[in-house]
Amino acid sequence: MSHFVTEQAKAEPASPLGLYVHVPFCASTCDFCAFYQAKPTAGAVERFLDGVGQEQALVTWPRPVTTIFWGGGTPGLLSPTDLRVLGGRMRETWGGQKPLEWSVELAPASVTEARLAALKEIGVTRVSLGVQSFQPALLDGLGRQHTREQVYRAWDAIRAASFASVNLDLMFALPGQTAEEWADDVRTAVGLGPDHLSTYCLTFEEDTALWVKLSQGRVKLDPENEARLYETTWAQLGAAGYAQYEISNFARPGHACRHNLNTWRMHEWVGLGPSAASQHGGWRGANVADLDRWLAHLSRGERLTEDRVRLTPALLAEDALIFGLRMNSGVDLAAWRERCPGAPWPVVDALLDQLAEDGLALREDTAVRLTDRGRLLADSVGAEVMEAFATEAMSA
Amino acid sequence: MHVVPLTRNFCIIAHVDHGKTTLSDRLLEYTNTVSMRTMTAQHLDSMDLEKERGITIKSHPVTMTYPAKDGKVYKLNLMDTPGHVDFSYEVSRSLAACEGAVLLIDAAQGVEAQTVANAHLAFGQKLKIIPVINKIDLPSANLELCLRQLEDILTIPSEEAILASGKSGIGIEDILEAVVARVPPPRWADHPQTRALVFDSLYDSYRGVIAYARVFSGAIRAGDMMMLMSTGQRAEVKEVGVFTPKMLKVDELGAGDVGYVVSSIKDPADIKTGDTITLANKPATEMLPGYKEVRPMVFCGLYPVDTSDYEKLKAALGRLRLNDAAFVYSSESSVALGFGFRCGFLGLLHMEIIQERIRREHDVEIISTYPSVIYRMVKHGGDVVEVDNPVNMPDPGTIIEIQEPTIKAAIHIPNASMGDMLALIMEKRGIVEHTDTLDATRVMMTCQLPLNEILVDFNDRMKSITHGYGSMDYELGEYRTADLVKMEILINGDPIDAFASIVHREKAEQKGRELCEKLAEIIPPQMFKVAIQAAIGGKVIARDNVKEMRKDVTSKCYGGDISRKRKLLDKQKEGKKKMKQFGRVSIPSDAFIKVLKTN
Ligand SMILES: Nc1nc2c(ncn2[C@@H]2O[C@H](COP(=O)(O)OP(=O)(O)OP(=O)(O)O)[C@@H](O)[C@H]2O)c(=O)[nH]1
Ligand code: SF4
Ligand SMILES: [Mg+2]
Repeated sequence: MSHFVTEQAKAEPASPLGLYVHVPFCASTCDFCAFYQAKPTAGAVERFLDGVGQEQALVTWPRPVTTIFWGGGTPGLLSPTDLRVLGGRMRETWGGQKPLEWSVELAPASVTEARLAALKEIGVTRVSLGVQSFQPALLDGLGRQHTREQVYRAWDAIRAASFASVNLDLMFALPGQTAEEWADDVRTAVGLGPDHLSTYCLTFEEDTALWVKLSQGRVKLDPENEARLYETTWAQLGAAGYAQYEISNFARPGHACRHNLNTWRMHEWVGLGPSAASQHGGWRGANVADLDRWLAHLSRGERLTEDRVRLTPALLAEDALIFGLRMNSGVDLAAWRERCPGAPWPVVDALLDQLAEDGLALREDTAVRLTDRGRLLADSVGAEVMEAFATEAMSA
Repeated sequence: MHVVPLTRNFCIIAHVDHGKTTLSDRLLEYTNTVSMRTMTAQHLDSMDLEKERGITIKSHPVTMTYPAKDGKVYKLNLMDTPGHVDFSYEVSRSLAACEGAVLLIDAAQGVEAQTVANAHLAFGQKLKIIPVINKIDLPSANLELCLRQLEDILTIPSEEAILASGKSGIGIEDILEAVVARVPPPRWADHPQTRALVFDSLYDSYRGVIAYARVFSGAIRAGDMMMLMSTGQRAEVKEVGVFTPKMLKVDELGAGDVGYVVSSIKDPADIKTGDTITLANKPATEMLPGYKEVRPMVFCGLYPVDTSDYEKLKAALGRLRLNDAAFVYSSESSVALGFGFRCGFLGLLHMEIIQERIRREHDVEIISTYPSVIYRMVKHGGDVVEVDNPVNMPDPGTIIEIQEPTIKAAIHIPNASMGDMLALIMEKRGIVEHTDTLDATRVMMTCQLPLNEILVDFNDRMKSITHGYGSMDYELGEYRTADLVKMEILINGDPIDAFASIVHREKAEQKGRELCEKLAEIIPPQMFKVAIQAAIGGKVIARDNVKEMRKDVTSKCYGGDISRKRKLLDKQKEGKKKMKQFGRVSIPSDAFIKVLKTN
């Protein structure tokens, strides 16, 4: 088996189609979060569910969906009944065949047996639990609330419901967190034996409470510390049998998140709900990040009103590199060269050679991937890729 | 005979930071020129840069009305002047438009170098000086010392001094009364023809050139046909007005008035400061005394970071030049930087300010080369070439000797700092010509120093040696032969022409090390190894490495995130625009300004 083609990738259909649903409701706003959220009033939830139905009807479905992902927000805030309603809507997109993977994000506080039962019943295969930290004090500093006991209880319930795959989300580089506390969190998470782990470095997004703290100097950035935490995490999880397949994602064999892999490989997906992004039918775009305006657009038969771009082979090739290089398997250049012969490959090749010379990338056969050091610089690499594609556009 | 008994023209002069602009605030308030409601601190510092840095860059005129204790109402024309040595030509110009000068002395600092220099300028113009000991509210004020220095150093009788505080508003009325009583009425008012001195000008894209003028005799009204005496050029006067400090249109500017003149002249090159305006139908024959032309002393190349901004930069330089006769530029090109301009400045502060104005007011991101002075290269056969750009230095084999410009400096320091100061002067290759006792505690060292040695950190070092009590004034001196070499800076082995400098051979190694070290610090971490080297004639004399970037990655990049992620990367590219690419290395466009600043 080559380095680059995993067992799992082979099992993928040639043209997967993802379905993402953005459930915009949260009980309260976490300090670091820049996602679109709305207050989960009964009326709002009902309008949202209706909207998903309307939007679904507007989509020209090219083929049956192969993966579903419900994110948010907190999909787990929906009642079991509402989960069933939303699940029922999904069925219209299947074309008779069940999707390969159906993920739902849950917050520990929202996990109940009734909800899990509803999810099982509609066909959810993968649950992602937003633990973030096992240290209540650190969670508190992020404006998030749940206790360690709540996490354990949620965990037991999820395992008892026996989903095919379960993920835990953790965050590091939290204000006040020591390296030892973080290593402890990773150990505790591994101790629970999830199939998949996502470890996110705390990011300071504009328009969040955390950003305000940063600009007021109440918290500080320490990139050197972050770099060290990334490295120790990768080592720790690797040793525990979780292979890294993307900057922040680790899985036991066969448990990588197919839905995300497909988007990173620039396949197609349909996004439903306010703020959801889509990429299909030759277009990429996003819905407006506002429940009422989203509904208003739908009633006029419009979706993907924001950031609309036409998908060209060159754009897809460019993004396949920017996003693909974040993955440990890297990018299959031969396939993209074939799909998009007009892209500025000589410039790209020169860049990749340079990255290889600098010890940031590895080139093997027709594929390229980043080294550990390169992956820690994936944004800079991405910017260089964009530049490479831009030079050509100018001279063309 | 025409006399203007109720007008007084005076400026406020002092060493930098002695409180001129703050005291002006109080005068404006006291005379109700600016109402309390609209008053802002350092009101006359109207440019954003002046406000931000708390320094005055240009002279600012303003007309006040003052009902004096003698029962008469006076028109007082005040000019606030800059204190920094780079802008001393602004002081000279203002003085030429006045009959008196209020000389401030910071009570806690005492007489400093520009106090003496500016007082001498005022004496030279035969102005009446009103000494004011300012900031007497400070606990560290030493009135006795200040008064003694007034007599000993400036030969001004200490009884004439007024005690004041611009901060607490002490002595304001005394100053105004002294201006009325001691400053003579406007001079030369009885000259038979109209004469006005242009002491500054401003370019306005709608109205063309706005000349700042002091009328000495006669009057100027809208509709008059005026004539500039140096060129004979005629123009129609469109509007005249005074400064309140905002421009306020009036019917006429008469003898003794200070105000502005808008005419049909659009090209700033047509009105030179120092020129005399007269009326075309009844012209004067004798010009008012003008000014020495100011000559730039420091040069550097300015280049657009984005080469497509060349025209924009050219336009920006043109606009800045309009209001700043001391700033000059001409086009040049560089292998590393493409097309740009060689620019001349009065000093480093002037250079820094012009660069900042280009960035901020004209929105062009620029990069500057290492600053240089004008060297004279004497070649075999006797030809002398002037070189203001190290890149143009002729082959060393063709040169007999290199001469560098020097300055004649007057350095005021406390006695206790003499030893350290002497060491600094030696280090900077200076020669002390003589040392004079100013008073019991202070001396003045008169010395000759190479101009390029004082550009960088001389002032900061002097301040630190003297705990803030040292000060320096200087003027250009003669050229002197020195053992100078061209030092190149290499980035990853490639020489970058823009970074070349001319240095003394014995100091090359140390300078090279410092430069490499600072560049390594200033250049942001890069994705790969970057070596910075200094070399002379191909031989490397110093090296350093830029830090390697450790982490630059967005952690969470979930499925639908693609547009957002692209925006992030776009932002990163935008940040890079403030950088100039040298091969693969991005260098911040203000790198050299930063290198020159000591920490
Ligand atoms: N304590 C005290 N501080 C003062 C007084 N006048 C000015 N200052 C302070 O001294 C500093 C310099 O004041 P400015 O009025 O800007 O001085 P300046 O002479 O106009 O400075 P330049 O124009 O740059 O030469 C500021 O920080 C003022 O707040 C005063 O009477 N008392
Ligand atoms: S992190 Fe999740 S739960 Fe918290 S505000 Fe954001 S979307 Fe809601
Ligand atoms: Mg001032």
